[in-house]
Amino acid sequence: MKSLFCMTSNPVERRYVVRMWVAAGLCVVSALVAAVAFRLGHLKDLPAYPVAVLPALPILWALVETGRFLAELKDEFQRNLFIQCLLGGIGGTLAATTTWGYLEDFARVPRLDLVWVYPIFWLFAAITYPVVYQRYR
Amino acid sequence: MKNRLKVLRAERDWSQGDLAQRLEVSRQSVNAIETGKFDPSLPLAFKLARLFGLRIEEIFLEDSGQ
Repeated sequence: MKSLFCMTSNPVERRYVVRMWVAAGLCVVSALVAAVAFRLGHLKDLPAYPVAVLPALPILWALVETGRFLAELKDEFQRNLFIQCLLGGIGGTLAATTTWGYLEDFARVPRLDLVWVYPIFWLFAAITYPVVYQRYR
Repeated sequence: MKNRLKVLRAERDWSQGDLAQRLEVSRQSVNAIETGKFDPSLPLAFKLARLFGLRIEEIFLEDSGQ
């Protein structure tokens, strides 16, 4: 589980961490490229779609890598911990975004941009980690 | 689920790390199994049984009241 945050001696975990960092870097770069392209190129209609989707591709890759990591992780206890963290991430994201949605509808709070769903998911997964880990100490 | 892992390990003078290395799992996994907080899968239970030269039911004990 240390793999989520730092380097480890397990090659499967190390590969996963490296790929996640690469995906995060690509996401930032592609978001900047898309922002500049829209600002300078005045993209609209059909040509705008592939450029707009560009930053989402590294995120899709990261999700695929997460699935692959789960499949390759030999240690069933570690896999169990990681799955619980992912469930915490999914549950937290559903709860937070649904609650925020009702707040938007009825309390007129600022609209939450959907691009924040992915970071919110990992934020909740990271918050879940110490809670889960504490149970097995 | 209760088990005799700690005793079996002590009889062989193995640390949790030694056992983890033999099972090809993390030390945290051995600790979680040993303390009964995590039940291993059947393949891992068989691996443990093979390692100690015992049957699974000689390592893992059914909880009373079940």
